Amino acid sequence: MKSKRVLAMILGAAMTVATLAGCGSSAAPAASSTSETKEAASSDEASASDEDVTITFMASQDWVQDAELELGEKFTEETGIKVDYQIIPSDQYENLLLTKLNTGECADIFCGQSSVFSIVSQFDVEKNALDLSGESWAGNVDEAAAYELSVDGKLYGQPIQDVSACWAVAYNRAIFDELGLSIPTNYAEFTAVCDAILAAGKTPIYECVSDTWHHTCWLEGAIAATKADASLPGKLNNNEATFAGNAQLTTLLTQLKEMADKGYWGDNYMSNAYSDTATSMASGEYVMTLYNQGLGTEINAVDPSFDIDNIGYFAIPFCDNQNLNVNPCGPSRFIYSGSKNADAAKKYLEFMASDESLAYMTENVGKFNQLPYKNAPSAYSDVVQDFYDRYPEKIAVFQASVKYFNPQWMEMGTNLSAMFLGEMTPDEVLQDIDKLRAEQAEAASDAAWN
Amino acid sequence: MQKKNTYPIYFALGALIIYTVLFVLPSIIGIGYSFTDWSSYSDELHFVGLKNFKTVLSADENYMKIIGNTLKFTLITTILKNLIGLILAVVMTKSIKFLNAHRGIMFMPNVLSTLIVGMIFKSILDPVHGLLNNMFRSVGLDMLAKKWLVSSELAFGSVMAVDIWRGVGYIMTILIAGILSISSDYYEASAIDGANGWQKFRYVTLPLLLPTIATTTVLNVIYGLKVFDMVYALTNGGPGKATTEVLYTAVFKRFGTGQYAVGTALSSVMFVIMLIIGGYMIHIMTKDEVVE
Repeated sequence: MKSKRVLAMILGAAMTVATLAGCGSSAAPAASSTSETKEAASSDEASASDEDVTITFMASQDWVQDAELELGEKFTEETGIKVDYQIIPSDQYENLLLTKLNTGECADIFCGQSSVFSIVSQFDVEKNALDLSGESWAGNVDEAAAYELSVDGKLYGQPIQDVSACWAVAYNRAIFDELGLSIPTNYAEFTAVCDAILAAGKTPIYECVSDTWHHTCWLEGAIAATKADASLPGKLNNNEATFAGNAQLTTLLTQLKEMADKGYWGDNYMSNAYSDTATSMASGEYVMTLYNQGLGTEINAVDPSFDIDNIGYFAIPFCDNQNLNVNPCGPSRFIYSGSKNADAAKKYLEFMASDESLAYMTENVGKFNQLPYKNAPSAYSDVVQDFYDRYPEKIAVFQASVKYFNPQWMEMGTNLSAMFLGEMTPDEVLQDIDKLRAEQAEAASDAAWN
Repeated sequence: MQKKNTYPIYFALGALIIYTVLFVLPSIIGIGYSFTDWSSYSDELHFVGLKNFKTVLSADENYMKIIGNTLKFTLITTILKNLIGLILAVVMTKSIKFLNAHRGIMFMPNVLSTLIVGMIFKSILDPVHGLLNNMFRSVGLDMLAKKWLVSSELAFGSVMAVDIWRGVGYIMTILIAGILSISSDYYEASAIDGANGWQKFRYVTLPLLLPTIATTTVLNVIYGLKVFDMVYALTNGGPGKATTEVLYTAVFKRFGTGQYAVGTALSSVMFVIMLIIGGYMIHIMTKDEVVE
């Protein structure tokens, strides 16, 4: 009996030791690889340790292009570091990202829509992201983009997209010519163009509400309010003005609803998906859509007979706007501060910002004409150049210029879809924007709201 | 003869401590947090009294609608899953050909991941390209081709229908086990007394199945009150403002936007509702149950 008890104690002790050893096993190689690095170990040893590393990469579905996935494979071949891309449906991405950040379980690299305000109020990059100022590529980031990604002079993110591209109405030039239509220069002309297309038996605009974010991009037309009063963004940031009651913003939403009500978006706009835009435009059933420059290339990819230059662009004509909306930064990559693979993640960012990678992305992604890096090539087509030349004045979008606006992008999308369904009025949508901004400002102890 | 026929209490201590630390304590702490201004925007925590509960119960907010949606979802899916599950269970315990194949097919949707079911049905219910509407159009029933998931009127019903389709096989399986456990003596006795099929069901099957139905009802109610993935995959709470929003999608969104305190207050309100419904339901359904 006694011997059995002794045996049981020995087995129990062995199990405990084995369990503790198991817990410690992952930490041991990490510690040794750190010391190896400090001692400047040979590259063979370094690559051997990298072979076991898999970095996780979290992004909204439209932020990682096929070309980046191809570069990711090349990166793995060169370094041995594997990349696990976690692509999340865009209508669910923001909630998931912020939940992961707030619960301390984020991927090694996370992507986020950026502005100098949102990286602090939304992502809290000083706490959740690594300072990338010392990286070799940091000095190459375009100054305007770097400003939007920095806090107290420290760079926290790496831009993903071409920010010279803006949200504009892309149109099928051949169908415009066929119907004798010309580029509208105000809202009345825009509705006349839509009516003519409807009369021809086609759907004027491909809109996709199900993604929650795309129809919200029409709000980039809010630059009309900045054009009318250049001090408006400052007043909004100092809590001296509101969205509700602003004449241009009310007109913008009223006209947006009118688009849906008049059937300009067709019958299926609530179910349409952003990922089907190129296919839908290629079919010729739709004539216009809100898109970045590069749609022609994307349609050509799904239908090689479609001429890339058959897609032209004009500025969002709500409120008779005739200016370009610009966002100096857009979606960006960040390295999570709690990442156990921070060194590998830094190597990935370095790889993506190399001359070769930037050239590859520009060459293979239709909407990337000029990535925001000093070492990135430029590839504007004549059609795109003509579009930019037509609108010399550029105004920063609210996403970049107004605090607590970008963080509620998806809520605004939900409210706008409620407006299309008749559940909310344009005034109520604007009031809700003010309310959500006040809630965020109060939570952030913003002096202007307290 | 054993002097003690029960195990000492310290045998249960390990499990009790783990359960308390991992389940009871976080729940109590969660309720405590709902009285603070806990959020991702600030590291400081202040006591704010009932402010979050006022927000949750305010007429200006959507939360009451969300709680109402959750209760509506629970009530309707529980009744229909039990009813359809019972009909199927009765049919699937008869001598019919390929019985196990039929049972397997009925149970199959439950094996699939909810998110996959959601994505498949999102495609099937697409107004223009979806299988369902195209089927209606192909047989000339165009008037039945509706905007299933994107209209305010139909979205909630569509979500519930998909959830019932997925869950009914599971309920059927439990009820089949319940029916098969009823002794054939009762049916033989009732047959001798001249009972027809309906009378056998009404006076033998149903009363003896009541404890099993109580179990499936409890399972359905708990599932319904906690539903998340099906709504998340099909509509994510839309279309429009909270048309199909339920408690856990709302809590998820509040946590996503860093409003932890409001999220925990919402959970706390639902916890109280769950407690009342659960207690009442178990009391009602067990007081008259037949003991063999």
